[in-house]
Amino acid sequence: MTITLEANDIRKKFGGLQVLKGLSFRIEGPELVGLIGPNGAGKTTLTNVLDGAIKPDSGIVRLNGQRIDPLAPYEVARAGLGRTFQVTRAFRRMSVLENLYVPAMAMGRARSPRDCHDQAMEILEFLTIDHLRNEYGRALSGGQQKLLELGRLLVLNPDVYILDEPFAGVHPTLMATIYKWIQRVNGQGKAIILISHQMESIFTLCSRLLVLNYGDLIADGVPSVVKNDPAVIEAYLGHDEDMSGTGMVSLKEDSHA
Amino acid sequence: MIRSLPNALGALGVAFLLGFPLLYAGGNYDYVMHLWITAFFYAILASSWALLAGYGGQFSFGHMAFMALGAYSAGLLDNYVVLSSHATGTCTEIGLFGSWLVLVDPTGVSTSAVNCLQQARGVWPEGVTTSRLPLLLSILIGAGVGGGFGWLIGTLVLRLRAAYLALFTVGFSEILRAAISAEVWLTRGQAGLPMSPIFPEGVTIFGTFYASNAKLPVYYVMLGLFLLTLVILISLARSRIGLFLRALREDEDAAEALGVDTVKYKRTVFVVTAMIAATAGVVQGHYVGIITPNTLILLQMALVIAMAVIGGLENVVAAAVGAIIISFGLEFLRNDFIIFGERVDMSTWRLVFFGLLLMLTLRFLRNGVIHGGLLWLERRAVGAETVAKRRATPKSGTEEAK
Repeated sequence: MTITLEANDIRKKFGGLQVLKGLSFRIEGPELVGLIGPNGAGKTTLTNVLDGAIKPDSGIVRLNGQRIDPLAPYEVARAGLGRTFQVTRAFRRMSVLENLYVPAMAMGRARSPRDCHDQAMEILEFLTIDHLRNEYGRALSGGQQKLLELGRLLVLNPDVYILDEPFAGVHPTLMATIYKWIQRVNGQGKAIILISHQMESIFTLCSRLLVLNYGDLIADGVPSVVKNDPAVIEAYLGHDEDMSGTGMVSLKEDSHA
Repeated sequence: MIRSLPNALGALGVAFLLGFPLLYAGGNYDYVMHLWITAFFYAILASSWALLAGYGGQFSFGHMAFMALGAYSAGLLDNYVVLSSHATGTCTEIGLFGSWLVLVDPTGVSTSAVNCLQQARGVWPEGVTTSRLPLLLSILIGAGVGGGFGWLIGTLVLRLRAAYLALFTVGFSEILRAAISAEVWLTRGQAGLPMSPIFPEGVTIFGTFYASNAKLPVYYVMLGLFLLTLVILISLARSRIGLFLRALREDEDAAEALGVDTVKYKRTVFVVTAMIAATAGVVQGHYVGIITPNTLILLQMALVIAMAVIGGLENVVAAAVGAIIISFGLEFLRNDFIIFGERVDMSTWRLVFFGLLLMLTLRFLRNGVIHGGLLWLERRAVGAETVAKRRATPKSGTEEAK
């Protein structure tokens, strides 16, 4: 069975601000979709709606045909959608292994830590943080905490992964591990939504881009087409030419090439 | 070896507590037993609060309120519900297996008012016997009432965190205290609700009769309740529930995103710990013989919190041991002493020393004295292991832990 995530006309208003203005898209496994847009475009809000943390004002989200928009986040997780957070959320005063036990036991796949120890160790070795297995989450560096979050998702083993800024503040050597992680998950036929401001990674990894701007989906397509889309260039660069250091300069240069 | 040490110490401690009343030969037997009973009472409260606040991160000030709900439930049953062998004809009553369940009308603090049972006693024939409900039943009812309110409070605070939750539970506790103080007709207000002894007719254990005011049977009842509480708390803490509670304490959203039903486990920990506190309240109320709204003052709650914090908030056994030590410590600090020719009146000054100890613990040993010590040993071992493992695999491409 193919993995599908469908969003249909998602709208969300915070006070007077329309954050999501009727978004619709459909993602299938093993797609690797980049979700980009300037700050405040609605990326994280969209993630929270898909995850069940925020209820949309209207619209329907379906995961593998099942409606998930009315569900609580834990039910969405059990239905098969996993996410990381923009700011790392390791369980700081729990050991690295215990961090991995939580999803295994919450999903009912393990009754005791003993049942899921081997799987957890395999994942930690894959992520090259197995030597830290008994350390508290807070003893890990920022990048290692990102890896720990990705490890927890592997244990959760959902059908659709949403990664919110997995590369932010990560050292190049750890970046390689995260790439390896993405290949592993993608290779299993799972769908990944990647949110990032690092255009290089997005263009390297993703086969399709969704571009949000002020709550509108302004582009949806293969990266080479999207980056030449006038609406996208406008959204990112506006009329202000001084955008050096935003990572979007390359996009502009590419578009002229 | 470090891991088996706590177990060995625990077994030794339990053996000591079980044998103590039989072997103790020092003076002031009743007084010493009373100290232990009180210590167990506080240990039950501190350790159950540690599960709620230390594991679950629900920093509630309502624990004494749950205790009082249990005590007052039992107190009201004790005063106003009587089993009688003969119908009164004056009270509300229902026939029950050949005897009568009598609801006595409350007369408050009035000394002249005569309730329906007293009226009936005036006209009853010889040989009519009355008794209160069985203790076990009132424990069940008290625990049920505590658990019910635990569910309610647990539900109401679902969206509240940290300071908001603390203030909310302070509010709940104060409302309960004010209501109990106000409803004098039922609760006798500040005068307090008298409660019958745990064993009103005395009790015979292995052929020895103990009168209703004997300390030894109460010691074992409270110790039994304490050990049962520890067994429940430890098995919860070690189960998946304990793991989920710690996860939601650390980060509720992340726990939820990993499939943990945080609402369910938050409610569960409120209900379970409220039931434990209420049960302790029922037994303590019957032991002390009176329950007053003053058990609900904030200082009492602060005492329980301080005991758990000094012992170690994130370890139910450490919190219990902390409570026992503080309980005795506060008692020994009653002895006045003379410094620079000045007599220090410790009956008031002891709380100053206690407060100082609390401040020092919070500043320098945030994991508590007992749990903090154990944790220090454990973390040191883990650190050594991590370094050894990292040296063994030099190709590891990760950054070093800080």
